[in-house]
Amino acid sequence: MAGSSNLLQGTLELLVLKTLSLEPMHGWGLAQRIQQMSRDVFQVNQGSLYPALQRMKRKGWIRSEWQATENNRRARYYMLTAAGERQLGAERVEWERSAGAVFRILDWAGGVA
Amino acid sequence: MSWLTDMRERVRSLLFRRREERELREELAFHLEMEQAANERRGMSAAEARRQARLTLGGVERTKEEVRDARGVRPLEDLVRDIRFAFRSFGRSPGFTVTAVLVLGLGIGANTAIFSAVRAVILEPLPLSDPGSLYMLWESNPEKGWERETAAPANFLDWKERVTAFRDVEAYSWSPFQVTLTGLDRPRVVDATEVTGGFFSMVGVEPMLGRGFTEEETWATAETPVLLSAGTWRTIFGGDPGVLETFITVNGAPARIVGVMADGFQFPTEEVDLWAPFGWSPEFRTEAWFRRAHWIRPVARLNPGVDPDQASAELEEVAAQLEREHPVLNRVMGAGMTRLDRFLLGDMRTPMLVLLAAVGVLLLIACANVGNLLLVRASGRGRDLALRAALGAGRGRLVRQMLTESLALAALGGGCGILVGLAGTRLLERLQPEGLLRVSSFPVDGTVVGYTVAVTAAAAVLFGAFPALVVRRTGAGAALREAGRSGSHGRGSRRVVGTLVAAEVALAVILVLGAGLLVRSVASLRQVDPGFDADGVAVVTLNLPSTRYETPDQVTAFYDDLLGRMRTLPEVVSAAGSTTMPLRDRGFTSDFSVAGWAADEYGSEVVRRRVTPGYFETMGVPLLEGRLFTAADRPESERVALINEAMARRYFPGEEPIGQRITADRFPDSTSVWRTIVGVVGSERQNAVAMPAQVELIEPFHQYFGRRMHIYFRVAAGDPTDLVPTIRSIVAEMDTELPLFSVADMTEVHADSMARDRFVMLLLLAFAAVALLLALVGVYGVTAQAARQRLPEMGLRMALGARAADLVRLTLGRSVVLIVSGLAVGLGAALIATRAMTGMLYGVAPNDPVTFIAVALLLAAAALGASWLPARRAARVDPARTLQAE
Repeated sequence: MAGSSNLLQGTLELLVLKTLSLEPMHGWGLAQRIQQMSRDVFQVNQGSLYPALQRMKRKGWIRSEWQATENNRRARYYMLTAAGERQLGAERVEWERSAGAVFRILDWAGGVA
Repeated sequence: MSWLTDMRERVRSLLFRRREERELREELAFHLEMEQAANERRGMSAAEARRQARLTLGGVERTKEEVRDARGVRPLEDLVRDIRFAFRSFGRSPGFTVTAVLVLGLGIGANTAIFSAVRAVILEPLPLSDPGSLYMLWESNPEKGWERETAAPANFLDWKERVTAFRDVEAYSWSPFQVTLTGLDRPRVVDATEVTGGFFSMVGVEPMLGRGFTEEETWATAETPVLLSAGTWRTIFGGDPGVLETFITVNGAPARIVGVMADGFQFPTEEVDLWAPFGWSPEFRTEAWFRRAHWIRPVARLNPGVDPDQASAELEEVAAQLEREHPVLNRVMGAGMTRLDRFLLGDMRTPMLVLLAAVGVLLLIACANVGNLLLVRASGRGRDLALRAALGAGRGRLVRQMLTESLALAALGGGCGILVGLAGTRLLERLQPEGLLRVSSFPVDGTVVGYTVAVTAAAAVLFGAFPALVVRRTGAGAALREAGRSGSHGRGSRRVVGTLVAAEVALAVILVLGAGLLVRSVASLRQVDPGFDADGVAVVTLNLPSTRYETPDQVTAFYDDLLGRMRTLPEVVSAAGSTTMPLRDRGFTSDFSVAGWAADEYGSEVVRRRVTPGYFETMGVPLLEGRLFTAADRPESERVALINEAMARRYFPGEEPIGQRITADRFPDSTSVWRTIVGVVGSERQNAVAMPAQVELIEPFHQYFGRRMHIYFRVAAGDPTDLVPTIRSIVAEMDTELPLFSVADMTEVHADSMARDRFVMLLLLAFAAVALLLALVGVYGVTAQAARQRLPEMGLRMALGARAADLVRLTLGRSVVLIVSGLAVGLGAALIATRAMTGMLYGVAPNDPVTFIAVALLLAAAALGASWLPARRAARVDPARTLQAE
C-alpha cells in the first residue's frame, strides 16, 4: 500500500495499548483494528505483532485469556492491565510533548533567538 | 513491579514450555484462518487465500521463533537443549566418552589428592590462636655447625626477660621422651613432652577438662602436675572424669592429673599423650650446665604491631649481649626466629610444592589428550555440523554447542575426578611414612571440592577451546567440504593436533626427568653405607626408672643380667647395649680437649655414647685400630674410650690416636676426667643416611651408666623381631613393672631414614608413568590419523612400485618432527624446572647429564615406537583396496 511506513516497536506497542484500552481483542482483530484506526497509514507487520504482544505481557502491561469468539471458536484475547493503563497515559503525555516540540520547530518562522 | 511480572512470565515459559507451544500453534492457526476467510471474502480462491494469508503473516516458523525469542528464556532453553544433545552424542560414542572421562578424571583427581595433602600440611593454619604471630626461636653456632638448633634453658630465660618485642616466650622439650605409668592394671609406656608453665595458655590451647599449667609450675613445685591426652584418658582411664586431681606414678614418681586435653590435640607429634611442666629447681638458673645443654624449643609470641624483622634484630642484639656476658659458654652463639608453622613444616615444603607442580603438568597433558580426542571427534562429525549450519544455526550457535559439550565432558570428568581424588587421598594417607608430615589425615572438605571445581573449569577451558576454535575458523561451508572425507582433519585442526601432541611429549619429558632424578637420588642413598650391618639385627629400648634403680650398680647389674640371659638364647648370635641408635637417636654432644693440645684449642660437637662390650660385633662395625671394650674395663680400671673413624680423620690426621688422652671439657682443669683412647672403630651415621657421620667418642658402659639403653641383638637366621616376645618375657621375669619401650628391626630403621625420599619418588614416578602413557597414546593417535589420511596416496605409490619401508618413512616424517621438537622443548624446560628440586636430591645434580641423556633416549625410543606401529600397519595395506575406496 502506498504511503505505508515502518512501524517502530515502541509505536506498535503504543497502538496496541490504545486499541486494547477500548476493548479486549485477539491478535488478528488487533491487527485489523490498528490498520483501520490509522486509516491504513500503519500497516501492521503481522509477523511482528505476536512477539510484541509477548514482550508486553512480560512487561505486565497486558494479559491474555482464552475465550470464545462470536463464531464460538477458541481464541486468545488480550486485555489491558492497570499498569498498562498507566503506561498508556504516560506515553500519551510523552508523545504530546515530542510532537509539540517537532511542530514548534517546523513552524518556526525564523528570527533571532 | 514490572521485573516481578517479567520473572513470573519467564518462569512460566520455562515450566510450561509444551503448553505454551501448543497455545502458540493454536493462536497462529486461528490467525491464519481468520486471514484466509477475509481473503476469501475479498474474492480469492481458497488456495490463493491461504497462500496470501501465510505471506502476510510473514512465515509461520519465523513468527514462532520470534515469539520464542521474546519469551526471554532462550539462552537457558538452548543450554538445556545443548546439554541434552551433548549427552546423547556421548552415549552414541561410548569409546570416546569413557576414554576422555577417565583421562580427565585421572588428571583432575591427582590434583585433588595432592591438593588435599598440601592444604592439610602447608595451608591449614596451626590450631593455635593467632598462629601468625608465633615464632620458633633457635640458636646458631658457626663453629659447631649449628643452624636452627635447640636452645639452652638459661639463654631462653634471658631472651624471655630481655627481648621487649616478644609479648611472651615459652618453651617445650626438644623431642618427646617415653615415660612409664605404673600402678595401673599393667605398666604402660606413653610419649611425653615437657613444657613451661605458661606454654599452653600462650599458644591459646585450653584443656577440655580440668586446668592447664601455671607460670609458677615451670619451676619445681610441691607436686608434679600432668596433663593427659583425650585418647589416653579414654583408653587407660576409661574416660572417667573422677580421675582428675588423682595421683598416678610416672617413672616411679607421683604425679597429679590436673587436666585432659581436647580430642585431636596433638603436640608436638601425634604420639604424645602426656604433658608435664619442666619443674626446674631455681638453683639451675645460674648453673653452667643450664646454659651449656641445648635441649629446649622456645616459642615466642610477638607483641601486636611489632615488625618481625625488628624483633629478630632485637633477639640478635640480646644474643650478642649474652655472648659478651658469658664468653665461654655462649661463644659465637647466635639466635634467630622462624615462623612456627614454617619451622614445623621442615624440609617437606619443597617436595610438596614439587608434587603440586607435577600434578599440574599431568593435568595439562590430560587436557591436551582430551583436546585431541575432541578434535578427532569433531572432524568426524563435520557433516553433522554442516547440516546444522545449513538448517540455520549460526556459527556462534555451533561454537556454543561445542563449548557446552566440552563443559558437559568436563563436568563428567570432574565427577570422576572427585572419586579418583577421594581414593587418591586415602591412598596418600596410608602410604605416607609415619611422622613425616605434621598431620596424617587430609580431609576432603568444601575447600578441596571447590579447588576441584576450579581445576575442572580450567581444564574445560583448556581442552574445550580447541574444537570450538577450529569450528569458528573453518566455518560451516568448509566443514561441509571437508566432511567429504570422513575421519580426516582440516589443515587447521591438523596443525593444532600436532602442536598438542608435541606439547604432551614436552610435558611428559619434564615429569619423567624429575622422576628419573629422584630414582637416582634414592639409589645413591641406598648405596650409602650407614656404618653398620643391619641384616638380622633388632633392637629393644628400655628405660629404668630412677626410683627402683638408683645406683649405678643396680643399673649395670640389670643390664648385665639381661644381656647374659639374652645371650643364652640359641637363636641369638650376639647381644649388646648402647645409649644411642644410629639414624634415629643420636644422643647428646659435648666439647672435648686432647692432652697436648694448645691451651685454647678444643673440639666441639662430639657425639657421646656408652656401649657394652660386644656392641661393635653385634652391629657389624669394624675395628680399625687398637682394641674394643672388654669385661676388664670396669669402674675401677683405667678410664678408656674409643673414637670413630671420622674423629680420627678429623682431629688426628697423620697421628696415632691410640694412647692419647681425651677429656670432655673444652678447657680442662683439675676436675677433668681423662680417658685413654684404646681403639678406633668404623663410623656409623648418627643422624641420617644422607648426612656424613659426626665425630664420636665412645665410652664403656661399665665405667658410666645409662638408665635408658638400646639393647641390640643379632640372630643367625630369620627375622630378629620373632624373638621379641621371648625378650619381653625375660624382662618381665626380671622386673614385672618394666615395659619394653620400643622395638625395631634395624633394616627398617635404615629404610625409614630414606622414607621421605622414597615416598616422593614413588609419587613422582606414578605421575610420570601416567604422563608418558598419555603422551605415547597421543603420538600413536596422531600418526594413525596421518596414515589414514594418506591411505589413497600410499595406495597409489605402492601401485607405482614403492616399497613398504619407503611408505613407513613417509608417514613417520611428520611424527618424527613432532617428537623431536617436543623432546627438545621438554629437555630445555626441564633444565630450568628441575632446579627447583635441588634440595631434594642426593648424589645427583638437577642437571645431571647422564639422567638427561637416558631420559631423552628412552622417550625418543618409546615415542618412535609408538609412531612406527601405525605407520607400519598402514603401509601393509593392499593398494587395490585403498584406491577403490577413494
